[in-house]
Amino acid sequence: MFDFNGTLPLMMFQFFLLVAVLNAVFFKPLTQAIDERDGFIRTNNTEARERLEKAKRLTEQYEQELAGTRKQSQQVLADAQAEAQKIAQAQITEAQQQVQAEVMQAQAELESQKQSAFSELEKQVDTLSQQILNKLLGATLA
Amino acid sequence: MDPLVAAASVLAAALGIGISTIGPALAQGNAAGKAVEGIARQPEAEGKIRGTLLLCLAFMESLTIYGLVIALVLLFANPFA
Amino acid sequence: MHHSSLLLDSFNWFTALPLASLEVGQHLYWQIGGLKVHGQVLITSWIVIGILVIVSVLATRKVERIPSGLQNFMEYALEFVRDLTKNQIGEKEYRPWVPFIGTLFLFIFVSNWSGALFPWKLISLPEGELAAPTNDINTTVALALCTSFVYFYAGFRKKGLGYFRKYIEPTPVLLPIAILEDFTKPLSLSFRLFGNILADELVVAVLVLLVPLIVPLPVMLLGLFTSGIQALVFATLAGAYIHESLEGHGDEEEAH
Repeated sequence: MFDFNGTLPLMMFQFFLLVAVLNAVFFKPLTQAIDERDGFIRTNNTEARERLEKAKRLTEQYEQELAGTRKQSQQVLADAQAEAQKIAQAQITEAQQQVQAEVMQAQAELESQKQSAFSELEKQVDTLSQQILNKLLGATLA
Repeated sequence: MDPLVAAASVLAAALGIGISTIGPALAQGNAAGKAVEGIARQPEAEGKIRGTLLLCLAFMESLTIYGLVIALVLLFANPFA
Repeated sequence: MHHSSLLLDSFNWFTALPLASLEVGQHLYWQIGGLKVHGQVLITSWIVIGILVIVSVLATRKVERIPSGLQNFMEYALEFVRDLTKNQIGEKEYRPWVPFIGTLFLFIFVSNWSGALFPWKLISLPEGELAAPTNDINTTVALALCTSFVYFYAGFRKKGLGYFRKYIEPTPVLLPIAILEDFTKPLSLSFRLFGNILADELVVAVLVLLVPLIVPLPVMLLGLFTSGIQALVFATLAGAYIHESLEGHGDEEEAH
């Protein structure tokens, strides 16, 4: 069970040989591959982060522009509305003035006609009263 | 093989392995209990505690294994036979 | 060495069953030059090494940025041993030691599992039987001595002869213990691995002897688990020893 013999040094020798061989065919290439991949992932990561940053900046910018445009359009809308209001107001006042003027004119005309009618009526009253007088007094006079 | 030596070897092997289990058994129980306490107190450290515990158990186990090696020597490679 | 054994004798009446037998301490001896070697250990270790090298070559034959299939799997294994090494040695200095500790882990892991998963017993040898290479004390001691060499090398490369200051650093009184530590480290490393794997295989073999069907399965699963953990423990300890000799007492203490 405990017979040490040539197996021992042979085993040590082939173990160190195995270390050398595995170092060449296993540890070195795979360590290199893993490190390269780590580097690749790291650069990719930073690149992606940069791109994300850029995209965020662009979004912000576009949003600002959008907000500006929206404000502008609202301004335009408000201006147009105000103008329309003003025009409508002006037309309404004009129409009202016209109507007022027409009403005034009609009233004045009415007044003058009334006046003339009154004067006519008065004239007629005069003649009628003359005639009545003539008719009443004429018999007695005659 | 001398029957007296054979009998003594068998007895010594049995006693040797039996006695050499006592200490590590107590130690392993102690360590496992402490590890469970540790995990109960800090469940997030479970992985680390388990790794360390397994390593420590292997160390204690090796004490029993030394006794086992002696027992095996007595049984299979007895120098006095 | 004595190949006959008490347990074997007591199980002799079981050998009427052709399904399984228990053999410990029997080896297929080869004579290479003036050296006697255990043939069955070398054969299985070559198979394990072959598996590792072939899988590695297949995985890295065409390295792609987006891994798939075998490359993905081997990258997972590499990340695993890298994390293991990083945890033990630290972020700053772990890179040069990844191949050694990784190979240690992969070799022990594949060896242990091959012992449990590969039907070695179907291939009959004239003497001894094929099993996991790590159930032979020569293999585990070889691996442990490799670890010792590497941590000495690590210390010397980092600090030159100042490495020996760690033996007398807190106080020279501990010098014998510090020296003793250098011997107990490989001893405990090798015996732990050897004992665990041998115990696994013995328990499975004994159970198979008693009940050849189904009953040994849970024990086999436990054996697979233990084998994995032992590979992890061996690699972790190797990393810890290397870290210890890299750091020592002194300049880098405040780094923690």
